[in-house]
Amino acid sequence: MNIYIENIKGHPGKSVALNVHGSWANIAVMMGMDKNTPVKEQFFNFLGAWDKYPGEIKFIDKDKAPCHEVVIKDNINIVEMLPMFRINKWDAGCFFSKASVVTKDPYEPDNFDTQNVGTYRMQVMGKDLVGIQALGFHDIARHITHAEETNKPLPIAVCLGVDPVLTFMASTPINYDQSEYKFAAAINGIPMELTKALTSDLDIPANAEYVLEGEILPRVRVPEGPFGEFPGSYSGMRLQSQFRVKCITHRKAPIFENLFMGRPWTEIDYLMGLNTCVPLYKQLKETMPEVVAVNAMYQHGLTAIISTGNRFGGYAKSVAFRLASTPHGISYCKNIILVGPDVDPFNLEQVMWSLSARVRPAKDVIVIPNTPGMPLDPTSEPAGMGAKFIVDATQPAAPDLILRDTRLIDNPDSKGFEKIIADLQKAATKK
Amino acid sequence: MKCVRCLHDTAAKFAEAPDKSGAWEMYACSRCNFTWRNTEEPEVITPELRDKNFQFTQEVSDLQILVPVPPLKK
Ligand SMILES: [Zn+2]
Repeated sequence: MNIYIENIKGHPGKSVALNVHGSWANIAVMMGMDKNTPVKEQFFNFLGAWDKYPGEIKFIDKDKAPCHEVVIKDNINIVEMLPMFRINKWDAGCFFSKASVVTKDPYEPDNFDTQNVGTYRMQVMGKDLVGIQALGFHDIARHITHAEETNKPLPIAVCLGVDPVLTFMASTPINYDQSEYKFAAAINGIPMELTKALTSDLDIPANAEYVLEGEILPRVRVPEGPFGEFPGSYSGMRLQSQFRVKCITHRKAPIFENLFMGRPWTEIDYLMGLNTCVPLYKQLKETMPEVVAVNAMYQHGLTAIISTGNRFGGYAKSVAFRLASTPHGISYCKNIILVGPDVDPFNLEQVMWSLSARVRPAKDVIVIPNTPGMPLDPTSEPAGMGAKFIVDATQPAAPDLILRDTRLIDNPDSKGFEKIIADLQKAATKK
Repeated sequence: MKCVRCLHDTAAKFAEAPDKSGAWEMYACSRCNFTWRNTEEPEVITPELRDKNFQFTQEVSDLQILVPVPPLKK
C-alpha cells in the first residue's frame, strides 16, 4: 500500500508520496515478482540480480532530462518549494528521510564507481541550509574528510523521488568502489538513465522528481537532531556537517517522496531488510561457502541470523566473527545468532526451535565487550561503542562433542502440495 | 524572537506558505537549528508545554562531534 497526499495547504499543485517500499508485497513488485512471494525467495531472487552487476548506464542530455523541467536558482527557500513536514513529534525540524544523495571523492573526480549514492538523513535548518548526518563508516564521510583536508566545498546533489530500485540500492551497504547506479541497472535489467547536474560534475538520475544541488561547507559542524530513527527511538543531538543549496530543479507537478520511520516495523524496515542481508551474505560466502542464508532484517542488522554448516567443531562461531568484521557488521551486527543449514533464518519459529533444542548455554553463548557500536542504537554507550553476543544454535561437529544422540523427525513431503494450496489461496482472495 | 526549544532570542521567520494565503509561517533558530510552523500542535511549539527531554539546555560546544574535522593538508 502506498500513501499519496494532495491538496496540501499553502502548496497548490504539490503532492507527497509515502510508504512506497512499505510492505513485502511492494518490495516483491519492485523486483518484478508476484506480490505474494515469500521473503526467503525474494532474498534468493535479489542474490541472482546482484550477480548481474554491473548494469549499463545511459546518459540523457541535460536539457532533455525530466528532472530539469523546472530550474530555480534565485531566492532558494526549500520549505516553500517542497511540501515538507515534521515526521515524528520531537524531531528537530523537517527532514529528508529518503533522499538519494550523490557525492564524488574529490581525490578521484573522474572515477564513476567511487561516486557515492547514499541515503542520509538531512535536516532543513533555514532557507537554503541543510544539516547532514554523515557517520564515520558512511562512504560520504570519506568524501567530506577528503574535501575538508584541503578546505574545499564538496558538491552534493540530493535526489528525491527516484526509481524505487535506486532508493533501495542507496541504502544498501556495498563496497566503496561499487556503483549504486550500475547495481540498480543490473537489478532492473535495463540501463540506468543519468544526466549531469547543473552546478557540478555529479551524475544524477534523469527521472528524479526533485534535485537539490549545493555544496557541503568545509570544516563546519552545526547542531543537528534529534530525529526519530530506525531503532524506534530518537537519536541524540550532535554536531554534524551542513550544506548550502544553490539550485533546485524538479519535474512539472513534482511528487515529493519521503519516508515515515516509527517504532518498528515501518517502511524503513522493509526498505532496509533484504538489502542489508544480501551484501553480508555475499561477503561471508566469499571465504565461507558453508553459509546458506543471512537474515539481517532487524534494525539494519543490529540482530542477524545466519544459517550455516559447520565445517568442523566451533566453525559457526568463526562465521560470526567474520560477520562482525565485515564493513557493515563491525558497528551494526550486535546480536548474532547462528543456525544450521536445515533451518530457514527467515522463519523465526524454526530459529526459536534451534535455540530451544541446540544451544548449550555454557558453550554456545559468548559476549564480546567493548567493540564498535552503532551510535543510533540506544544501547550504544558512549555513542559509537558497543558489544556483541553470539549464540551458536548449530549442530556441533567433530572434534566438538556431539549433542546427545538424537533422531530428528522428518517433515512430511509437502512440496507438491505447497503450490496447489498457495494457488487456491490466491484464487480465494481475488473473489 | 525566542526559540521554543533553547529559549534564546535567536529565532526568526524564514518561510511562509508559497501561495501567499497565509496558511502557515515557519521559524528557525540560528543557535540550535530547531524549526517549527505556527500551525503545529501546541505541545510542540509552546515552550511550557514541550517535553523537557527535548528542550536544549546545554551549550552548543558541549555537543558530541561524530565525524571530527581532519587536520589541514599542506
Ligand atoms: Zn534554539
